[in-house]
Amino acid sequence: MVIVLKVCHLYPDLLNLYGDRGNVIAFYRRCQWRGIEVKVEEVNLGDQVDFSSYDFLFMGGGSDREQNLLASDLGEQVENLKTAIEDNLVVLAICGGYQLLGKYYLMPDGTRVPGLGILDYYTEAGNKRLIGNIAVNLQMGDKEVYITGFENHGGKTFLGSVEPLGKVMSGNGNNGTDGHEGARYKNVFCSYLHGPLLPKNAAITDYMISQALKRRNKNFFLNDLDDTFEKRANSVMLERLL
Amino acid sequence: MRLIKTISALWLAKVVMLLSRLLGKGKGSTLPGMIALKIYPGLLHSFSFQLRKGIIIVTGTNGKTTTNNMLAQILAGSGYKVLANLEGANLKKGVTAAFIKAAGLSGKINCDYAVLEVDEGAFPGVVSDIKPQAVVVTNFFRDQLDRYGELDTTIQVVSRALKNTEKVKLVLNADDPLVAQLCKKTGQAAFFYGIDFIETSITGVIEDTKEAKFCPFCGNNLKYNLYHYSQLGDYVCPGCEFRRPEPDINVSRVYKDGNYFYGSMYFDNNNINLSVPAGGVYNYYNALAAFAASVYLGIEPQVSAGVLYNYTSAIGRMDRFFYNDKPVLLNLVKNPTGFNQSLAALLAQERFQNLLIAINDNDADGRDISWLWDVNFEAIEEKENYFNNFICTGKRGEEMAVRLKYAGVSTNKITVEKSLEGAVSAALSQESEVTYLLVTYTALWQVDSILNKKAKRVGYSAESMPSVS
Ligand SMILES: [Zn+2]
Repeated sequence: MVIVLKVCHLYPDLLNLYGDRGNVIAFYRRCQWRGIEVKVEEVNLGDQVDFSSYDFLFMGGGSDREQNLLASDLGEQVENLKTAIEDNLVVLAICGGYQLLGKYYLMPDGTRVPGLGILDYYTEAGNKRLIGNIAVNLQMGDKEVYITGFENHGGKTFLGSVEPLGKVMSGNGNNGTDGHEGARYKNVFCSYLHGPLLPKNAAITDYMISQALKRRNKNFFLNDLDDTFEKRANSVMLERLL
Repeated sequence: MRLIKTISALWLAKVVMLLSRLLGKGKGSTLPGMIALKIYPGLLHSFSFQLRKGIIIVTGTNGKTTTNNMLAQILAGSGYKVLANLEGANLKKGVTAAFIKAAGLSGKINCDYAVLEVDEGAFPGVVSDIKPQAVVVTNFFRDQLDRYGELDTTIQVVSRALKNTEKVKLVLNADDPLVAQLCKKTGQAAFFYGIDFIETSITGVIEDTKEAKFCPFCGNNLKYNLYHYSQLGDYVCPGCEFRRPEPDINVSRVYKDGNYFYGSMYFDNNNINLSVPAGGVYNYYNALAAFAASVYLGIEPQVSAGVLYNYTSAIGRMDRFFYNDKPVLLNLVKNPTGFNQSLAALLAQERFQNLLIAINDNDADGRDISWLWDVNFEAIEEKENYFNNFICTGKRGEEMAVRLKYAGVSTNKITVEKSLEGAVSAALSQESEVTYLLVTYTALWQVDSILNKKAKRVGYSAESMPSVS
């Protein structure tokens, strides 16, 4: 029987900066190359979504202008999303999408723009954008990996009770001070890494695929792929940064 | 004192210009300006008063160089003496270098007009020094985001600088909502140009990244009666007054026939034909922008149209070479819209080809290369048989290879070659009917000089490859 995984690309029109759709492409291709069928559905403003029905949810980054628009739209479906996350839905949230899942965004004038409040962290507007190549060290299942990407964010994020995704080896990460990058809760992976993140960090992509399969109780052996190109692209940046 | 500073800055810069040319470092287009500004920061300001007629600035994401060169040719063709930064050196130091080059040893500039292409980020710094008579804005697309944050920021930077400028005439693309908004946003008067209708076969099916989805004034979703490409078209806001302004220069219909794009307009009680050597419809927009600016400056429309009909492009943007009997085409790529257009042009060829892609991530290229994921490389998949080899090179060639792999290109057709020289050799010598080289900004001159050694330059081709800069 063919295994089918359903991908939800949330607000692709709004949250798609810096080639973020490359993450969906990577998830899709790495499944396809192993004979797993993938259906990508784009969900836009105003659409009703049953998050539990998906296997992978992707939220990209957007400009500030666009983020305001969708916190209110998504607000109505927040319980639905929370339930799916508790039920181990695999989520990748980048930059703006990452900030949105948190408690609030603190503006320079002291206004708190509420987030969805699903994960325990907040973001405050910084006085300068954190921009540049970044290398992060993290634990993915039983593997220790070094990932690379490009960060470009004005907000600084501070974690509460959730774990960071990894340790910053070079670059700024969440806020440029505490050495943390991203956030991790159950199968939710949040990060400031554009690049996009998944294509040249194949270990993360594969781990997410395996978690998605596990959630559906699929017994599927994820065979190794030839990742020569991916590893080379990643190591070029690692050598430059470390 | 000021004169002494001007002269000493000028002389030293001229020496540097000469030396850098003798040593073959770059084209001597920015270093002299940088040095001169260090010695005398007011140099550009003091030069700017010498122009007999005025200064025109061209800015925007794509088409700056082409539009600027076209306008310079029109003005020169009308008998004016024109100073221009023709080499695409569009930061303040490059603009300064253009003045230095034009100045005599006494510091005198004997020109009527300065026609200057200026980078959006450098725009405020330049307009605060020199007061332009008119500013032409071509379009706003996503480009090299990391230098300025986001597209919104870029637009804001330009908008704010225009608002703070004393009276200036804007020459704006009515079809791009991001550009057209500048009239109301800045309170400056505008002269609009636009195209009513473009034959659909020309706009082609390019999967574009549409940028302007929301009204810049009230946030509603813009409605389009017609899309040309990207966010260009006939738009209207359902929530407020904002809509495509009625253009002063309005081309009714643009179509392609053979090596030309044809269009006509009714202006000043006359029917005027504006026909431009092909390249892509964006090239028609470049010509239209230059045409509109020239008409605003009082140039006879028929004269402008005549110059544009015979327009020859600038160096480096669509260079054509031959390697033995094989055509070799070199083109600059710097953002998704431009890359998609180049890609569409070479996929339409249906000739057996080698494609070299050189991606650098130096400051001038944009340090963030993630925009490569917004380019529609997926379009290659069904035409893969026409490709012998994809050769990826440059500082981020490895990542380009990953992009192609995830676009569905067979990995046995993808090569990563670290050295530019080796990559160019492979692209030339491996079997194919034609070789294309698509490169980012800082790889352009390097690849160009490698090609000069290995292949024979046969000039510039207006129709073979699109020029987007
Ligand atoms: Zn509106």
